[in-house]
Amino acid sequence: MSRGRARALVCGAVLAFALAGCGGSTSPDDATADTPLSDQAALGELIFKDESLSASGRQACASCHVQSNGHSPDNALPAQLGGPLMDRQGGRSAPSARYLAFNTDFFFDGEGTPTGGFFWDGRAASLQRQAHEPFLNPAEMANADAADVVAKLARAPYAAEFKRLYGADILTRPSDAFERIALALQRYQLEDAEFRTFSSKYDAFLRGQVQLSAQEQRGMALFNSPSKGNCAGCHPSAKGADGSHPLFTDFTYDNLGVPRNMELAQNADPAFYDLGLCARPAGDLSARSDLCGAFKVPSLRNVGLRKVLFHNGFFKSLKSALTFYVQRDTNPEKWYPLKSDGSVDKFNDLPEAYQANVNTTEAPYNRQLGDVPALSDAEIDDVIAFLQTLTDGFTP
Amino acid sequence: MPRIRPTRSVVACTLATAMASAFAQAPTPTEAELARKLDQLAAELAAVKAQLAALQQQRAAQAQAPAASAPAATAAVPAATEPETPTAPATVFSGYAELNYNRPTKQTENTQADLRRFVLGLSHRFSPTTKMVGELEVEHGVSSASDPGEVALEQAYIEHQLGRTWGVRGGLFLIPIGLLNESHEPTAYYGVERNFVETAIIPTTWREGGVQLIGQYGNGITLQTGLSTGFDLSKWDATSTEGQESPLGSIHQEMALAKAHDLSVFGALNWRGIPGLLLGGGVFAGNATQGQTPTSSRVTLWDAHARWTPGRWDLSALYTRGTISNTAALNAPLVGNPSLIPSAFDGYYVQGAYKVWMQQDYALAPFVRWERFNTGKSYADLGPGLTPSPLPTETVWTAGANFQVTPGVVVKADYQWFSVNKDANRFNLGLGWAF
Repeated sequence: MSRGRARALVCGAVLAFALAGCGGSTSPDDATADTPLSDQAALGELIFKDESLSASGRQACASCHVQSNGHSPDNALPAQLGGPLMDRQGGRSAPSARYLAFNTDFFFDGEGTPTGGFFWDGRAASLQRQAHEPFLNPAEMANADAADVVAKLARAPYAAEFKRLYGADILTRPSDAFERIALALQRYQLEDAEFRTFSSKYDAFLRGQVQLSAQEQRGMALFNSPSKGNCAGCHPSAKGADGSHPLFTDFTYDNLGVPRNMELAQNADPAFYDLGLCARPAGDLSARSDLCGAFKVPSLRNVGLRKVLFHNGFFKSLKSALTFYVQRDTNPEKWYPLKSDGSVDKFNDLPEAYQANVNTTEAPYNRQLGDVPALSDAEIDDVIAFLQTLTDGFTP
Repeated sequence: MPRIRPTRSVVACTLATAMASAFAQAPTPTEAELARKLDQLAAELAAVKAQLAALQQQRAAQAQAPAASAPAATAAVPAATEPETPTAPATVFSGYAELNYNRPTKQTENTQADLRRFVLGLSHRFSPTTKMVGELEVEHGVSSASDPGEVALEQAYIEHQLGRTWGVRGGLFLIPIGLLNESHEPTAYYGVERNFVETAIIPTTWREGGVQLIGQYGNGITLQTGLSTGFDLSKWDATSTEGQESPLGSIHQEMALAKAHDLSVFGALNWRGIPGLLLGGGVFAGNATQGQTPTSSRVTLWDAHARWTPGRWDLSALYTRGTISNTAALNAPLVGNPSLIPSAFDGYYVQGAYKVWMQQDYALAPFVRWERFNTGKSYADLGPGLTPSPLPTETVWTAGANFQVTPGVVVKADYQWFSVNKDANRFNLGLGWAF
């Protein structure tokens, strides 16, 4: 099914099948299994790619989660456009839909660390729960309600198959039908190996099929080193004890103090702040002010394909994002605007009351103004070379 | 068939030799001489029987309280030679425990008191030749999802005697490497804490699941060999320092859903031919990647040890060394992390104790131990800038005393000096028992 125009316009960020990464890791053998999709998953694939299920008629799940781009947007918009006229901007960047089969529901671990969940704020418990929202988000597929979605599906070529699977009268029960739409989408993402190919150069390296170049090895060492990049602190790179390949996320949340992105329309309002975890729509964490500003740690698989990075899409290249990581505290003037008094408006995408939540204790953020950054420019290039090995589709 | 203990064999052999010798040296005896010699032999036989009975009684007591004896005595008692007193019950409970207090004198804020372990043992003899041995351990007082303790089975095996010499074990058993692993009750060693060499290098209490043959010869030789589960290198966590604290302790499986793609072999030889002297060694080897990586890697650990208990002295020494092969391939994806897999690690110690005072059941035995160990002695070459530097060799002096309140109950105190990690210097106080 063509995505052309819709791809150009793209959908809203949250359509995103949650944030990246996600729970657990798995055997690469599972991912390469060439097993046919079940009827339900095959139906889910049709729904995933069906632009007619949107108010605009030009947006499908696949519009933002472009398979050829690691199931992530193939443009550099900080947040995707959607709505009936495809002119409404979402509030957050669309994450990749890959490797979500291993995510978990949101929970606090034994040490109280928020973990798991779908979307940048972990508000959805599963792929199925997540799949509801983009259909109804006014800045995405913009349907009025479940009945609106089901009415569109009733006109789709696969409506008969939908009724065969879920009952002849299913379309007369919009709420039940909408639930099954989400269920079919979940089945598709769980069953289709394209969502978890474990086919990167790094996977081949872990299988002993290829060696990394000297620069990639240096980058990997810097990535892992607690005193240098310390990236593996949140994006684990080692195989699991069960032989599973890493997902490059520990499924937790962090507050990095990413600069405010004025490309987002919502940020034109100086009183507006996207507070992430503590501001989930359900209000379940509203009392946890310590979590304000925290967003999901995404998987770094296919990060080399990303056109924008972080929840607000502020950074548009790995080079700038990694430089920010290591120079945020040593050279804040590079990243944040100046206040009227000439001082740097550090952590300007957070109200002052929550700026203390920003992670300033772990490397590479534990530097002070004027310190030597944790990584040099050449070392950043090495890390980027390593990150490029995480892109699916490598042929040894 | 009832097991004949080496001691009994030795006695019988000695008697037979003595009798043969007596007759050989008197080719033309008169009846009176023969009668006198018979009387003499009968008296000697009675004396030997009395000694044998006393020995049996002593061993029965040791069986009921394996750690109640002094370390010198336990060292001379092979693991598989528990006595078979005709009156012993078929099912026997046993147990041991350690309560430790550690006060780092340079970092007193890290002072801890810990119910280190409380172990309940249960053995049951199904027949004169077949028994079950089990040990259930609770560590650190409380074990729950929000507490640091753990519950573990240390041993769970069946032992069957095949004849006079050989027996076979099947199940979860302790690996016969070192002096401490098979004899780890607090009354059986000096110092509040087990020595570092036999915890950091030999991961006491180290057990595997498998089959073991045990042969005990009348000349004091004990042979042990078997096939068992082994280590799991896929458990290696390069991001933590656990592997630096004990390379093998961080990858042992303890038969908890143990990966068993690769099995290991082991063997041990111990000689107790001279009373009070134990000489021995053991080796354990097996692949440890368990089919999880493209390349296989072998873990090998061996040791040589000696213990001599002349009079009031208790002297011991041990050397052990472990190696892991193909670590370059295993470490390649881990570069930059704090703890890569070492290619070699080793340790050794010498220890001397002297029982300075004894009164009734009380006994005071000061000791001193000097040990050196290195958990990351060498690393495979990964190229410039990527190969970790070998870890420094730690030297620890321990000086203190074991005070036996009564056989089976011991109070210990000592001080430990560390040469590298000087902040770890500490005073230790412990209470232990075993029955």
